[in-house]
This record gives sequence, structure tokens and C-alpha cells, in this order.
Amino acid sequence: MDLTNLESLKYFYPEIILSGTVLLLVILDLVIQNKRVLAPFAALGCLLSLGATLQLYGTSEGWLFHRMVVLDNFSLFFKVVSLLAVLLVIWMSVGCHEIRQIYQGEYYTVLLASTLGMFFMASSTNLLMAYLSLELVSLTSYILTGSLHHNRRSSEAALKYLIYGGVASGSMIYGMSWIFGMTGSLDYAVIREVLHQGEANRLTLFMAFLFILSGFGYKAVFVPFHMWSPDVYEGAPTPITAFLSVGSNAAGVAIMIRFFFPAVSHLGEGGNWDFIPGVEWPHFLLMVSMVTMTLGNLCALGQQNVKRLLAYSGIAHAGYILMGLVVLNNIGLRAMLFYIVVYLIMNLGAFLVVIIVSNATGREDIEAYRGLAWRGAAVPATCMAIFLFSLAGLPPLAGFVGKFFLFAAVIKGEFYFLAVVAIINSVISLYYYALIVKTMFLDFPEPTDQEVAMTPTVFPLLLILAIPTVFFGIYWGPLFHYTNQSLGFFIK
Amino acid sequence: MAIGLTHYLVIGGILFTLGLFIVLTRRNAISILMGVELILNSANINYVAFSHFSSGNVEGQIYAIFVIMLAAAEAAIGLAIVLSIFQIFHTIDVEAAETLKE
Amino acid sequence: MDHPIQTDYLRWIVLLPLLGAGINGLLGAILQRQFGKRAISFVACTPVVISFLLSIWAFINLLALDPEKRFLIDSLYTWISLGSLNVTVAFWLDPLSVVMILVITGVGGLIHIYSIGYMQEDEAYWRYFAFLNLFTFAMLLLVTADNLLLMFIGWEGVGFCSYALIGFWYRDHVNTRAGNKAFIVNRVGDVGFLLGIFLIYWSLDKAGHGTVTFREIETFVPLIKDLEIWGIGVVTLATLFLFIGAMGKSAQIPLHVWLPDAMQGPTPVSALIHAATMVTAGVYMIARLNFLYSLAPSTLTVIATVGALTAFLSATIGLVQNDIKRVLAYSTVSQLGYMFLAMGAGAYSAGIFHLVTHAFFKACLFLSAGSVIQAMHHEQDMQKMGGLRWRLPYTHLTYLVAGIALAGIPPFAGFFSKDEILWKSFSHGLIFQWALGFAAAGLTAFYIFRQIFLVFYGSPRADPHTQSLVHESPQIMVLPLLILAFLSLIGGSLGVPEVLGGSNRIEHWFEPVFGSPGGHENAPVAMEILLMALSVGIGLFGITLAYLIYLRKTLVADTFSSLAAGVPYRLLFQKYYVDELYQFTFVRGTLFFSRVGAWIDQYIIDFIVDGSAKTTTFISWVNGLFDNYVVDWIVNKIADSTFGAGDKFRKIQTGNINSYLYVVLGAVVLAIIVKLRYSG
Repeated sequence: MDLTNLESLKYFYPEIILSGTVLLLVILDLVIQNKRVLAPFAALGCLLSLGATLQLYGTSEGWLFHRMVVLDNFSLFFKVVSLLAVLLVIWMSVGCHEIRQIYQGEYYTVLLASTLGMFFMASSTNLLMAYLSLELVSLTSYILTGSLHHNRRSSEAALKYLIYGGVASGSMIYGMSWIFGMTGSLDYAVIREVLHQGEANRLTLFMAFLFILSGFGYKAVFVPFHMWSPDVYEGAPTPITAFLSVGSNAAGVAIMIRFFFPAVSHLGEGGNWDFIPGVEWPHFLLMVSMVTMTLGNLCALGQQNVKRLLAYSGIAHAGYILMGLVVLNNIGLRAMLFYIVVYLIMNLGAFLVVIIVSNATGREDIEAYRGLAWRGAAVPATCMAIFLFSLAGLPPLAGFVGKFFLFAAVIKGEFYFLAVVAIINSVISLYYYALIVKTMFLDFPEPTDQEVAMTPTVFPLLLILAIPTVFFGIYWGPLFHYTNQSLGFFIK
Repeated sequence: MAIGLTHYLVIGGILFTLGLFIVLTRRNAISILMGVELILNSANINYVAFSHFSSGNVEGQIYAIFVIMLAAAEAAIGLAIVLSIFQIFHTIDVEAAETLKE
Repeated sequence: MDHPIQTDYLRWIVLLPLLGAGINGLLGAILQRQFGKRAISFVACTPVVISFLLSIWAFINLLALDPEKRFLIDSLYTWISLGSLNVTVAFWLDPLSVVMILVITGVGGLIHIYSIGYMQEDEAYWRYFAFLNLFTFAMLLLVTADNLLLMFIGWEGVGFCSYALIGFWYRDHVNTRAGNKAFIVNRVGDVGFLLGIFLIYWSLDKAGHGTVTFREIETFVPLIKDLEIWGIGVVTLATLFLFIGAMGKSAQIPLHVWLPDAMQGPTPVSALIHAATMVTAGVYMIARLNFLYSLAPSTLTVIATVGALTAFLSATIGLVQNDIKRVLAYSTVSQLGYMFLAMGAGAYSAGIFHLVTHAFFKACLFLSAGSVIQAMHHEQDMQKMGGLRWRLPYTHLTYLVAGIALAGIPPFAGFFSKDEILWKSFSHGLIFQWALGFAAAGLTAFYIFRQIFLVFYGSPRADPHTQSLVHESPQIMVLPLLILAFLSLIGGSLGVPEVLGGSNRIEHWFEPVFGSPGGHENAPVAMEILLMALSVGIGLFGITLAYLIYLRKTLVADTFSSLAAGVPYRLLFQKYYVDELYQFTFVRGTLFFSRVGAWIDQYIIDFIVDGSAKTTTFISWVNGLFDNYVVDWIVNKIADSTFGAGDKFRKIQTGNINSYLYVVLGAVVLAIIVKLRYSG
């Protein structure tokens, strides 16, 4: 299926609805005085888009808009993931003090525009679309990060993010230009055909990939393209940090899978992908994966700011997720997708508790969590323990199952050293996660510590995130089935 | 000597390196943003050159136009952020904005 | 057995109590504040009662089938599917598990109802019922699980609820310590249990049929019959490992030490978890895997010996306890010993039969004891009781009935089941074990009647204030007592042996699971009747002795004076005879075995709970060296270097954007250099 512009529109409802919502939000913001309706409206738009996305399952796969984007289960999966992330973040934002200081209309407009960018990141099959979608997400992310007025940390984070992102995406398109030069096309399918004929210079190819990886890697937070993330995560408003850590991270992984698998690898027998011979790319990714998880975990060890700690933990998790790519087969990819969903749930949950605590105390350091369970916040503290233990990968929580699949894929691919490094890393990570849990439960609050109250909107959200974290640890069958099914790439 | 593809690529490479050099060494935020622009434009030169000499289609030139457009968008956002930095720190030296660190 | 009948209501038997636990656990605090404790009781008891009714329905359904086809299954979903390992969440019922769920929901339901009265004053009422319901769920899961892994979930679940309920009054440190002890000792057992599961799966996998499902294990077990590791048969080893798990859960010597301490929990909990259901999980597990155990005769001998020793030793310890619940606790350990003796003798149905009757009379005893304790304002020392017969008429009646049942006097329930076990072990050639069990029967009758006499008869020894406040328990507590007492009275009719003109219905009921009982035809009937008479005799003898010592007090004064004098020559012949017997078999014997028991208690506890430091100075010395130098060094080194590395890595994060970009550039250049260097 290779559709022209007009024919494509009927497979494009999720994006159309989302764009419409963005435009309507701009207008509503001008017309309506009561800005409180904007959040529900944005959420409604996302829900409609989600409905439209689910509607597309089972319809035919194929190229849309003259092979610019592709409609397949893989792109639908990431659309669902992005929409879930943005819906949860909108919900979080409603109860967050920080967000109330921001112009509501702009905030939700830009948030939804960012989601739209993620849609394209997962579905683009053309180097131009890849760049445009990545930039759409980047530019909106800079705005969101810097959206706190006259806030030192927020502005500084935005500046760093901007410069870092600018250089990274500039390098990426420079690398892409070399690919274009070698293949004469921007179309992924053509690129693959040409590259597999084996005429391209291996070293040039490697360097082009390296440049491209700087763009993808900075979105998906891989070492050494991770440097922006601790500062940005600390400076951005917490819901935005949560959004960046799951949404833009997932989209980065998506664009990367899309490029390195269907675009430059051949799907061989039994779900194994053959990379272009002569380019030791998997080995490079192996190193990146190990360094990423190790560095993330080591840096998180002595960290006192919980948001920053979660940033480092996010880097470590990016390393775990990358393990699935190293093995170059569908088992690994499936494990990655599974982990992305699980990570989305548990990481958003952890950030939600950070919001609850900072709403009440205005602080983000570990000290603010002292005796949290005994300060009227037993439920958030318990949920936080669930999220953190799940992040650490303890059974019977979802994080364990996710890690299990990743490790299993790596071991099956006979990358034993990587598996050992990953397991040692899990042990190290347990320390700093458990430290927070210990602070919350075993330390007793000082008389000066405030009571931590929850707003009524937060409690259901907390349960919505905590229950799946436990549930998928016990009964992951449907989710596994879903991710397995989402591994359908449209390739011709 | 006929000007060929290589010449353009070398120009592109020099521009990229210069951009990178500026980004790495400059303290002034505006200068750094200009360095980013150089990097983007080095890619543009590559695209246009490849498009003209080797691919035989206009995809590369279209790409360059899109990059120029996006560079403008990025500059707009970048300047807004730099302005906000200036309001808070009263300078646009990136070394002043180093409060977020270990 | 090949085509199990699919049903879809079994899941509700198991899941309903979970629902109750969920509601009470999550919303209990609110419910209790808004609607009072009645709402909590309603939420907690209704699911169990419905489960009981469903269990009866299931039982009727099974009954309607041919004996060979009595098998229902309810598959929910595939839980794990990894390579050859396929584990489904499926509940099944066969003649064995249906008996178990009837006991769990029936006796459990009665204890739920009793708890309404007993826990009325407690603030954490909802928490109590949430755990009780959760326990019921886990126990039902344990017995209806169709594979070992699911069973293990239930196994750990009941354990968890047990620890939580032992330490229910957690403000008292003794209670939490008791909970800890139960936890630690049970871990020892669980290691064995897990090893057993792994071993079975591993060996079956090696034979090409890796499975943990009971039915498939049964089908494929001939494949691994001759497999050996380290010269020991795999089946023997696996069954031994599993038995270690059973020893932990079912409190067999030397892993019995947690059970007496577990009496720190609320009394209904002792009745439900530490007498009627959870502690019998080990027995059930062996019965469930009887096809495996029957292939391992040496394991069976070990089980019979451990069981008989436990039965005897803990009965002797029970003789000298003064805490009303501790006597019952040791009695429980002892009765569990009987069940294991039965398992070891291959008399699975007799063991399960005893499990059932024991559930009736021991639950009744515990609940009656709870009624006494509440009447006496939480006084548990029997020395301070006495004469409660008229004050607590119902409790006295039920205690007496259940006590007689425990003592094994016909026609009460305990007689039939215990005698069946003794006869089976005798006819199976386990003479030594039989002798221990036989002696324990006498001791049992003695200690239970000692207790009855001390508590209910004689003159009151409580202080006048307490005395004036003694009152019979409310109806909601008495009713379950009466029902349980009634069951203790008639429960034996399930398995009246053929010699006594019965048809041993329970044995026939279990035939599809355990196979036909052998050895009946050639066993001499006269012998069976003789042994029966002997065991009744020794029971009556124990009761008489207790009567003489604790009620008539004819023996005590003389005995102790003669002990003091050292030369008991003044005594009458008959008295002398009793006296000697008492002195040798009871006083010295008791003291000796009590000491043995106490020694085991002391050292096992110390060893496990307090670490090995006290056992020998040497070990502790070496240990200390090792801890101080090796472990600490390694741990510190690793921790320090990890933290150090972390600190160093974080230094990269200077906050300066230029330096961040330098890092990227450096890394990219490094990657290119490596690439050029190593791939040319």
C-alpha cells in the first residue's frame, strides 16, 4: 500500500485530531476566561486521538503521504504509548503547583504539539520526516522546559537543552547528508536496498551512523549524549521532567529502532536482523549500552536531589533498554517495547510522588522524604516504594518482568558479559532506590517536617499507576502479547 | 579546475568543524547559537551538493529548505530563552548559568 | 482421570476470600469508621460462607461422578510460558482437595464467625479480618493449585499471613519476635521445598517432559524413577527436599520451634492457622505427591521416624507446660507427628482422615481455650485457673468433648483416625515408630486431661477480682464451639474401620487418589482389635492418672515426699506400682524428654535466630574473623570504590554546556579511533 496525500487522510485521524486539538486550544485560550477547562479539553483531544489510533488496528498497513510516514503496528504502538504518557502528564499537571504559574493555554498547546512530534518520530520512513519530527519534539521540549517565568533553574535548563539539542540534531542531519550522498535517496526502503548492495564505504558509513546516533541518542538519553539530562530534569517543571523521561525517551528509542532496523537491516530467518556487513555497529551499541547503564547508576548513587536521581536512573534505564537493540533480533526488540511500557508506568509514578512531596514541602531533596509514610502520606510512600522497587527490578513487580525479558534476550543472544554487567548494575541500583524507601519508612520525621497532603485528583492517578506496576508483575500475558504484536514493521 | 562534488563537501566539512569549534569554545550564548546555525548550514551544503551531483533528484534541496525553516524556528526559541536568561542572570555568558550541576 | 471436567465456579471458591481481603484491606479503615465493625464482619464472613456452600456444591458434583472420574478443573490463564515450562493458573478438585477445601472453608468459616465475638474490642478489627480472609484465599490456593509453582504461591501466602497474624499485636516486641522466628524457621523449610520443585522439574525436563503440573508429574514420573545424582535416586532426593519444606510448615522436629511461639497471635488465628489448616499443608503436600513418595521408600521411613519422634517428644513437652495455649501448641505438633507417621507408613488416607478430625477437635480446643482466656481477662496460666466448670458451662462441655476426642476414646472422632494410623504403621512393620506413637497416645490423654482438670475442676485459684468478672462468652462465639464439638463427636463416623463393622468410607473416597489400600486381607483381625483395645486402654490410663494427680491429688503428696525421702518403701503395692511407673516413665522420663525438647528448642532457636555465635566459641571466633576482615573488607571495598566511581563520574557534570559538548566530541573521536584501529 502506497497512498497519495488525499488517500492517506483516512488513516491519519489520530494526527488530525491531535493537530485540531492543538489549534482549538490556541483559539480557546484566547476566547475563554476560565483556563481550567483547557486541561480537560486537551485530555479529551488525546482520548479521541487514542480512540482513533485503536480504531486503526487491523486496517491495512502501508506507506502514507508518498512514503513519508508509515502505518504499521509498530507506529501504532508508539502512538498509544505517547498518548498514554501525555494523558497521564496532563492529569499530573492539573494538581501540580509549579504548572499553575505557567500560561495554561500555551502549556497544553505545546505539550500536545510535542506529542504530535512523537507520533511522527515513530512513523517516519524518510530522513526528512525523521529530522522534522525530531525537531518538532525538541523545539517544544525546549519551550516546556523553560516555561517557568523568572525561574533561574528552568531558564538555565532550557538554555542548556537548546544548545545541546541544537548541536546534536545538527550533527544528525550532517550524518544524514552523508547517507543521502551515498544512497541518493532519503527514503528508508531505498537506503536499505542501496546499502545492502555493499558499495558504500564502511568507514564513512560508520561515521555517518555515529553522527546520526548523536541525534537519536540525545533523545533516548544514551551516554555520551546524555549530559543535558540531569540538569534539564532538575530544572524543568516536574511534570515536564516526567514527560521528557518517558515520552521523548520512548520516541527516541522508536526513531532509532525504525532507522537501524527496517531502514538499514534486513529481516532474516527467525526474526534475526542482518546488519550491513563490515560495520561493527552492534558492538558499538553494546559498549554504549554498558557504559550508559553503569554511568547512570554510579552517578545516581550519591545523589541527594530525587529528581536528579531519577534523571540518572533514567539514563541507566536507557542503557537497559538499549540492550534489546544489541542482540539484533525480534526477541530483543519485543523486550524493549515491553520495557518501554513498564518504564512509562513506573517512572511516571515515581515522578508523581515527587510532585506530591514538592507540592507540600517545595523541596526535592531526599531529606524532604524523611518519614514520609508517617507524615500523612502513607499511600504515596507505599506507592513510591512499589515504583522504586519496580525500577530496581524486584519481583513480583512489572519492572522485574521487563528486565527479565531484556536479560533473557541478551543471554539468548549469547552476550553473557553484557548480561553480567546489567545484573551487577541492577544490584547497584537497588541501593539508591532502597535508600529512598528507607528514608520514607524507617526514618522518623523531625518535628519540623510538614504533613504531606494529597489533592483529590492525585489519589486515583496514583492508583492507576501503582496497580499496573504490580499487576503486570503478576500477569503480564496480555501486555506481552500486545508488544509482540506491535513488532510488525511495514517493509517492502 | 572544475568545481566538483568534493569541493562542496570540503566546504561543508570546514563549516561543520567551525560550527563545532564555536560551540565548544564560545561563552556567549548568542555565539553558540550561531555555531549551531553553522553546523546546520554545513549539512545544507552537503544536501544541495549531493542533490545536484549524485542523486539526480531534488530531495536534497527540499531537505535544505526545510532545514533553513527549522533553523529559523530554533533561532526564535533560542533567542527567547536567551532573553529569559538575560533577565535573570543579567548576562548571556553561559558560564554564569552554571547553577545546575553536581 | 484423562479428561477432567471443565468447570468455571471453582475459581470463585478460591477468589471470593481474596475479594473480602481486598475490600477489607483497602477500604477496611474507612468501612470501620463509617459503618462500624458489623460491616467488616459482613464483608469478611460472607465470602467464606459462600465459598463453603460452593465447596459443598463441588463435593456433590464430584459425588455424582464415577469414582474414577472424580476430577474437576478450572483453568484461568497461562501464567508462565517459557520454553518447555508451561504453568497455568488452574484450580482442580479431586477427592483429596475437595476434603481439604471443605475443612478450610467449613472450619475456617466457623472461626471467622467466632472471631466476630473474640476480636470485638480490637481497634484493628479490619486488619485482622483482611489477613484472615487473605489467609483463607492462600490456603485454598495451596490445596486447589494444579501445579507445584502455584502451590508454592499459596504456600508462601499462608506463611505470610501467618507471620502477619502472629505479630498482629505488633506493639509488643515478644509478638514481633515470634513472628520473626516463624519467618526464619520457615525459610529453612522453603529452601528445601524450592529445591524439591527444581529437582523435579529439572529431572523431568531431562527426560523430555519438563512440567510442574501434578497430573503430568504423575504421568511422567516413571521416566525419572531410575535417574540418579550423586548415587542417590532423584525421586528420593526430591521427596526428601520437599519433606524439609513440609517439616518447616508443619512444625516437625527439629523445625517445630516456631509453632509454640506462634501462640502469641490471637487465639482464633492459632485455631485456624496453627492447628486446623496451615500447619497441615505439609501433610497435604505429601499426600498430593503420594505417587512420588511411594517410589521413595527410604524417604517414607524417614518421614515415619520423624513423625513418630515428633509425636512422642512434643507430647512429653506438653506434659509440663502451664500456659493453656502452649499445651495445645505442643499437642498440635504431636498430632501433626501422627499425620506424618501415617504418611510414612503409606497410609495416606488415614493421615488425611486424622487431619480432618484433628481440624475439628483441635480448632474446638483452641477456640474453647480462647473463650476461657477471654473469660479470665487474658490470663493464660493454668495455675491461676480452676473451677471454671460452672461459670463456663458451654465452654466446659465443648472442651471436654474435644478433649476426649483428642485422647482417642471411642466413639469420639480422634479415636478412629489415630487408631487407624497406629494400626497402619504397625501392620506396615514400623514397630519402633508404632511404639512411640502408642506411648504418645497415653501422654496425650494425660496432658489434655491434666489441662481440663486444672482449668475447669478443683477450686478456683484466680484472684477474687478476676473471679468475679468471669462470664460465659457471647452466643456468636459459643455457636461455633458447639458445632465443632458436635463434629468432634461424630467426625469419626467417616472412617469406622471394617473390623468394627464400619465400611471406612473415607478410605474408599480417597481410592482414586491414593490407590487401593493393601495389606488388609492378610492382616489378622484379632491383632487389630487387640491393638485397638491397647490404645484405648493407654488413653484411659492416662486420663485416670491425670485424674488421680490433679483432681484427687492422691498421688502428688506421696510421690513428692517419696522422691524427697528417696526410698518409697512405705507405699502400698498398687500405689507403689503406679508410683514407680509414674516416677520412671513420667517424672524422669518427662524430665528427660522435656530437657531434650527444651535443649532442641533452645539451641535450634539460638542457632537460627541469634546466629551461630552461641553454639561454639570457635565457630564464632572464625566467624568474627571472617566477618571483620573478609566480609567487611570486601563489602567496604566494593561499596567504597563504587561510591568513589560514582562521585568521580558525577564530576563530569560541571554545569558548563561547553564541557558537556567536549565530552560528546571526545567520545565520538574515541569511537572513530577505536573503529579505525580495530577494523582497518
